[in-house]
Formats: sequence, C-alpha cells, structure tokens
Amino acid sequence: MSVLSPYRVLDLTTERGLLCGQVLADLGADVIKVEPVGGSSARSIGPFYKDAPHPDRSLYWWAYNRNKRSITLDLERDAGRDLLLRLVESADFLIESHNPGYLAQHSLGFADLAKVNPALIYVSITPFGQDGPKANYADSDLIIMAAGGPLILAGDADRPPVRLSIPQAYLHASADAAVAALAAHHERVRSALGQHIDVSAQQSVAMATQSNILGAALGSVEPRRMSGGVKMGPIEIPLVWPASDGFVAMTFLFGSALGVFTARLMHFICEQGFCDEATRDKDWIAYGEQLFSGAEPLSEFDRVKQVVRNFTRSRTKAELLELAVEHGFLITPVTTVEEVVESQQFASRDYFQNVAHPELGESFRYPGQFAKFSATPIQYRRRPPTVGEHNSEIYRDELGLSEREIAELTRAGII
Amino acid sequence: MPNELPLKDVKICDFMWVMAGPASTRILADYGATVVRIESPTRVDTARTLQPYHGNQLTPDSSGLFANCNAGKFGISLNLGNPAARGIVHDLVRWADVVTESFSPKAMRAWGFDYESLRMVNPTVIMLSSCLMGQTGPLAKIAGFGNMAAAISGFTNLTGWPDRPPSGVFGAYTDYVAPRFTAVAILAALDHRLRTGQGQYIDQSQAECAIHFLGPAILDYTVNGRVDGRVGNSDPAFAPHGVYPAAGDDNWVAIVCRDDDDWRRLCAAMNNEDLASDSRYASAAGRLEHRDAIDSSIAKWSRALDRGAIESRLQTHGVPAHQVQNSADAYADPQFQHRGHFVALDHPSLGKFTVEGPRAKLSRTPATVRRAAPSLGQDNQHVLEKILGYDETRITELVASGALG
Repeated sequence: MSVLSPYRVLDLTTERGLLCGQVLADLGADVIKVEPVGGSSARSIGPFYKDAPHPDRSLYWWAYNRNKRSITLDLERDAGRDLLLRLVESADFLIESHNPGYLAQHSLGFADLAKVNPALIYVSITPFGQDGPKANYADSDLIIMAAGGPLILAGDADRPPVRLSIPQAYLHASADAAVAALAAHHERVRSALGQHIDVSAQQSVAMATQSNILGAALGSVEPRRMSGGVKMGPIEIPLVWPASDGFVAMTFLFGSALGVFTARLMHFICEQGFCDEATRDKDWIAYGEQLFSGAEPLSEFDRVKQVVRNFTRSRTKAELLELAVEHGFLITPVTTVEEVVESQQFASRDYFQNVAHPELGESFRYPGQFAKFSATPIQYRRRPPTVGEHNSEIYRDELGLSEREIAELTRAGII
Repeated sequence: MPNELPLKDVKICDFMWVMAGPASTRILADYGATVVRIESPTRVDTARTLQPYHGNQLTPDSSGLFANCNAGKFGISLNLGNPAARGIVHDLVRWADVVTESFSPKAMRAWGFDYESLRMVNPTVIMLSSCLMGQTGPLAKIAGFGNMAAAISGFTNLTGWPDRPPSGVFGAYTDYVAPRFTAVAILAALDHRLRTGQGQYIDQSQAECAIHFLGPAILDYTVNGRVDGRVGNSDPAFAPHGVYPAAGDDNWVAIVCRDDDDWRRLCAAMNNEDLASDSRYASAAGRLEHRDAIDSSIAKWSRALDRGAIESRLQTHGVPAHQVQNSADAYADPQFQHRGHFVALDHPSLGKFTVEGPRAKLSRTPATVRRAAPSLGQDNQHVLEKILGYDETRITELVASGALG
C-alpha cells in the first residue's frame, strides 16, 4: 500500500515546479501531468538521451516526472478549460508554477476553482510569490540564487560568486510546496476545506544560507566567500582539504561537541609524525574562542592548517574515508557523479533504481527512494510519461468521453 | 474566528539536533505541531555554537542558526543516560504521535530508545531517523555534518570553476535539502496512520534524499555515461548567463538571457548598438560560442554602475537580473519585506531575536512562528507539569535525580 494512494493531483507546473508533484507521486498519489498540446516546456531542457533533443527524451523531464501520468490540454481555450474543470471536481490537489495572474486570466485561478471544488488545495510556485514589488520580475535559477542569499556565499575570493552547476532554486521551492500541501491536507481532514498555497522560490532558497541570511538583522558579521571554505572576519575556515588524488570534506572545528573530534584527529596526525605534541595538545574545545579573542594568533592557526593539510595530502580519498570509519573522524570524499552512482554505500541500500523504458528497449538507474518507509515503501510504478501518453486512459476511461468526442478535441487541437 | 493551525493536533517528541533534523521540525512547528525538543545538558548542540550570532557575540543562546531551527518549540534538558530520564522519555513517547532523531545509527539503540523498544511503549508511534548515510551500509557509521554529505553525494565537486579546485557549495548543503523530505515523510506517515491506525519507522539518509537535487546530472551519467563537471556560472542553453561586477566593494549583479528576445532587450537596456547589431550574437548558439567576449562587454558596462540601478533598469526592460544579495541587502529587500520573511520574536534574555518566517503562505490557515527558540531546559517545568501531568513532588524528585542536568 502506498501512503498517498487515495489522492489525485493535477500537476500544471511548467519547468519550474516539477519536483513537488513527483514527491507526492513517489508517495503513491495519482499525479496527472497536464501539459500543453505538444508537451511541456520542460521537455526541451537538456541533457537528452544520446544527446538528441526529443520531447520524450529529456533527462531533465525524466528526473522529475517519474510515477506521473500525462495528458495534453489547451487551457487557453474554453473547451480545454471545461475539461480541466471536470478533472478538478475529483482532484485533491492542483500544483501550478505559472507567472502570477496567468491562470486567473483564464478563469482558472484559486477563486475560480474553489467554486468547483471547495476542498481543492491549490499550490502556486513562483519566483518571488504571488504579489509584492518583485512579483513580476523576470527570473531564472541564477537570479533566484542571487536574490535569495546563497549565491554571495560560494565561490573563489578573487572571482565572482558562483552557483551550483545544476539548477537548484525551483527544487527548494517545490520541496517546500510539497510540505505545505500535506500540512494543508492534514487540516482538510478536519475542515473539509481546501486553500491556496503561495510559495516564493526566493524565500525557499534562503534556506541554503545556513541562517546567514539573518546576519544583518542580528548584528552579526557577514561571512565572505572563500574557495573550499568560509571566511568569518579574518579567520579562514577550510571545509575542503586536499587528498593525494582529489579532495575531501573534513570538519576541523572546535567547541564542546566538535573539539573532541578535532582532538582525536590531531592525536592520529601526531602519531603519524606530522606534528609535535605541543601542537597535538592545544585546547581544541576552546580553540575557536582563542582565535576570535586573538589569544591564538592567526599565523599559528595557519601553521596548524598546514600540518593538517600535509597529513590529508599524504593519503588518498579512499584511505581517508577508511580512517574516518575506523577512527570516527569527520571526513568524506569529494565525489564525482560517477563515484556517487557506483558507491558501495548506495548499492548496499539498493538506492539507485532500475527504471525500464520499453519505448527505448532499455533500463536506466534513477535516484531512489527519498526515505525508507517500513510500512509503506516508496515504489517506482511508472517511468516518466511520454507526451499525452494517458489521454485515452483518462479522457475516455475515467472521464467517460466517447471516441468521437476525443477525436474532435484532438482535431481542434484541444488535446 | 481565527482559523486553527493545520497541525494543531500533532505532537512530536524531537531528539534531533544540529541542523538538518531541527530545521524539519521547525517547519512542522510553524504549521502548529507541538514539538518538545530534547537537549543534552552536557553535550551542547553544535548549532548553539555556529554563526550568525545575535549581537555578534557567542553566548549559549545567541546563535541565529539555533534560533532559526528551533523557534516555536518547547525545550527540555535530559541526561538520556540517567535512569530517571528513561521514564520521562517513555511518557513523552506515549504522548507523541511522532518521534524524531538524528543521531548516528546505534545511539538510540544504546539508550534503549530504538523503534522496536519505543513501539512497545506506543504501538502506533511514527518514528523517523535521519542521518548522513542512512541506518545501514558500510558507511552508516560515518558521523558528521551536511558539508560532508554534500561532498559524498556530489554537490561539492559541482560548485566552482572548471580550471580550479572545487569552490564547494556553501556550508552544510544537504542540511538545507533534507528537512523538506523529512517533513513530507512525517506528514505522509501521519495521513497513513489516520486512515489505517498503523504507525511505522522511517529511515532517512540525508545524502539519498539530497541526490534528487542532482537528478539530471545523475541521469546524464547513468544514461549517457557523461560525468558532469563544474562550469562556473555558465549554462548549457543560455548566454549571457553570469555574475557581473558593479560599483563598490564586492558588489555583483546576476544577469541572464533566456532567449533572443532577452538578448535584444539587454542590448537596448545597455544602449549598446554594436552588440545588438552583431550577427554573431543573434542566436543562442552564437552567444554560447562567444560567451567570453559578451561577458567582457557586459562587465565593462556594469562595473561603474550601481547594482540596484542595474537590476531595476534590466527588469524594467524584462531582462532577468538581480543584485547578488548579502544579509544586509536581503533584510532591506522590499520583496522579502513584503513577504514578511524576517520575523522579530521576543527572547527572554536577548530582547528581540529575528528569525526567518514560514516559507509558504497558506491562505486560510497561515503558518506562524509562535515563540523564540528555547534556552537549554527552559520548558522543563512546562513539559513535566502541563504536558506530562507530573505533580510537584515527582518533579522535585526528578530534578534531584540529575535527570534534567
């Protein structure tokens, strides 16, 4: 049994909000992707299967439409709108990510649909929210990351701030939208009423500042970006360290919780002959405060970091990971996508899932269950749909349209 | 009559700490869940030691990170190793719908608080464990933080410049992604329990849920065999697409052209006839090929101008642009203000303490931040007396036992 199997979701999102519906679909909801005739704009986003652009072979589409069904429908024409209203009658959720006001212009706004189905939860995912001075700003992933705070924090000090090379902004917003939708659903069980959920991607990505977005409000110092770490005031804190064959992430920090790990690591480094006992025996619990007060000069911290670097550079990523498992050090390797997919850890948990694409005669490994539920495991029931793959199934078998009506709608370009 | 908060009937016994876990129960607290957050009186939550700091001073309650992740919760201090604490934990588990924890695997078992033990206490309890790599597998034991999960799940390597070592994504990236999946999993399991009366156990690996944020890159490898690398700020389909200098110290503006129309509008906004009429730049393919030259032209124009003025000018022309905001910019940002993103709470010892507001607006039952994050043990009396119904004699005995620290 799937967790959300009793519920139906109409997914009207553009390329912006696809993950929200996929999360609900993974949990078992019947998610119907409602696409414009010819297919969603998301289908034109690469990369593509064998690098050949094709609406059914966008890997961006594949990544975020698993477990959904697809119908095509022209919402800008009356006949298309009428069909959507029929679907809305039996829907529990509707998710959309059009520019603010677009669906309302076509009489498909929250107020319109609440009249048809007062229990409908209507989720809107937009760059800056439904209203406000920037609600109609032109946007993209990079723009949202700049506006919401994460961008300034990452990158090399001598170059412009830099984003993650894979777009993230609407994934954060979509994930927030999924949480909000289920919270509203929990309330609907009591009240039998739906409502409108308004998600701003700008607000969602602020989560990726690790609360540094609050710095000015609290009167705290602004961190400065630094390659492989962060600079707080004059103190440079590395988080990425060199190995002999690449890089590792290592938490080399202080205080009552973390200083213990640092002390353990320094003992090992000393045993291996990379530093003297005086360096080993510094007060790693109080070390942060000593740096901030100036009791420990920054030049000495630089020397310590060089000692640690000499040690990490003497080992491979795999050796450092093995040491981390054996001794409880806070070290993981910086991995490529290939290393992630081929990892023993993920294999031992059957994480990557084979999804068959019969239309291509092949199967591919997809990212797997986002969590392991003991009673209601997430199942991959359907590969991402081709354009309008379920038109007959839904319009004929479920809505009860006749073959003739479907043929007419198809001829008119409504579906 | 004011509408009731959506999760007003949900009760959570929360053992989670640091960031990924507490950030998830913070979301549920905003939606109305009653969250009792258990803290060790001896092993200080690392989040309490991390930036930013209220008043730029590190004190036990001054971490903005801790305040942001724990607003709206009740706090109780418990020595989990103390035998007298055991009864309190069991009573909280009996009271709760959901138990959450984010220790490294085995810690809960060592205390006797694993799912098999707790379901004896509360047969329909939902328990969620969240840790870096999940409860099983050769790396299950790896303790640590989101920066480490970000490295081992591919994010760190994919942030930075192709000609340099990885700049690395900022901070504990998987701690920003995982909380949403945690909250979704809990809400879904609650719905299932409401329909079936059945609780369950949820094993969440922060790395595994975060990998969905790299979906297209993962498939590019499993389908095409291509291993994506970091590409700075460039985009495979759009050009120009970058971060350009503006007047002042470390001031920047992000500018993107999604199509040929955006490009024509950008040239018009820059009053640059030469760029507009250069046929090499008329198509996206041409602009991608010549992106370095185009970037130089834009930077030459932007360098002397105010970043806010660039943003307004380009947006007036319909071109995606935004100044790159630090916390001061964000605090003054009219859109963040319009959305009520910054919420000033009353703190018992620090005056006003600002945290982020709820991230989604619900029209009929809006989320709200009800109180500042608790000091260590701030709500011991409230939890024992009002939530668990202990009498004064029992509370006095528990205090004397050292169970509360």
